[in-house]
Amino acid sequence: MALADGTAVKARPPGIGLGVAAGVGAAVAVFVGVYGKAHDPASETTIKWFFKTTLHFKAWMTTAALILAIAQLLGALWMYGKLPGRAPSWVGPAHRISGSLALLVSLPVAYHCLWSLGFNPDPGGSRRLIHSILGCVFYGAFATKVLTVRSKRAPSWALPVVGGLLFALLVLIWLTSSLWFFDNIGVEV
Amino acid sequence: MLRRIAMIVETLVLAAVIVTVVLMFTNSPTAPPAAPAAVAAAAPGVDSAGLYGDRCAGCHGGDGSGGIGPKLNGGRVVAQFPNTADQVAVVTDGRRGMPAFGARLTADEIAAIVEYTRAVLAAG
Repeated sequence: MALADGTAVKARPPGIGLGVAAGVGAAVAVFVGVYGKAHDPASETTIKWFFKTTLHFKAWMTTAALILAIAQLLGALWMYGKLPGRAPSWVGPAHRISGSLALLVSLPVAYHCLWSLGFNPDPGGSRRLIHSILGCVFYGAFATKVLTVRSKRAPSWALPVVGGLLFALLVLIWLTSSLWFFDNIGVEV
Repeated sequence: MLRRIAMIVETLVLAAVIVTVVLMFTNSPTAPPAAPAAVAAAAPGVDSAGLYGDRCAGCHGGDGSGGIGPKLNGGRVVAQFPNTADQVAVVTDGRRGMPAFGARLTADEIAAIVEYTRAVLAAG
């Protein structure tokens, strides 16, 4: 391809933005997993605020992240014209804020998971292994989504696909942690 | 206005991510209390505190204050199992949500953990 003055321009494939974002996301996921596996688990409680134990705190913070993610999903559907009516101008910034807050409430949960418990192969079952893998992939997908939002070269389908994947991962994380906790320990604070 | 708030929130969350990563690498766990002579004598050469930290603390808490698993410290475990052999049986065979450790730990290691919970954590 060449400009009118004859300058040659090398065309870039439209998906390169997504490729870079996915690569960075994969690196984040691997980093989280390697840390969880290599780090010697402290086996200590961390934050619990007014909750009975750190695990109660984690179960409710993950639930809060899920609620914020549902708000994210609804906001995204509205902005993409999948809900009735035109999305007002505040939906975009509100979508950004709810996404940031979802990440924020997940941080102390991830910190306890990684620092105190570590990547758990769970020899007695599969729940903790699946949860560990999902947790690593979640932060990788989050990094991919943030970079995809910022990328001008990512294809138009990339953002809803990565956002949907991120939402699905959080639902699975909630199912393998908070729901299990509420089911086995009880819905208590 | 809302866009400005979104930018501020994103900046604060980015700072929180950085703080979390730094803490992951710099925060050192509290050293477990040394096992008293009675525990060491129960299973010489076995690191009972280390075993408890590796195998039990994830559910029962590093100080035995409970979590997914019940509280063990403050004499709770001795009150629930006046007979040590009953506690050894639970650790060996498991029950309800508690996994069986009979195939994963030696008899000496199980004995050391049981003594650790009864002697060291009892003071907690």
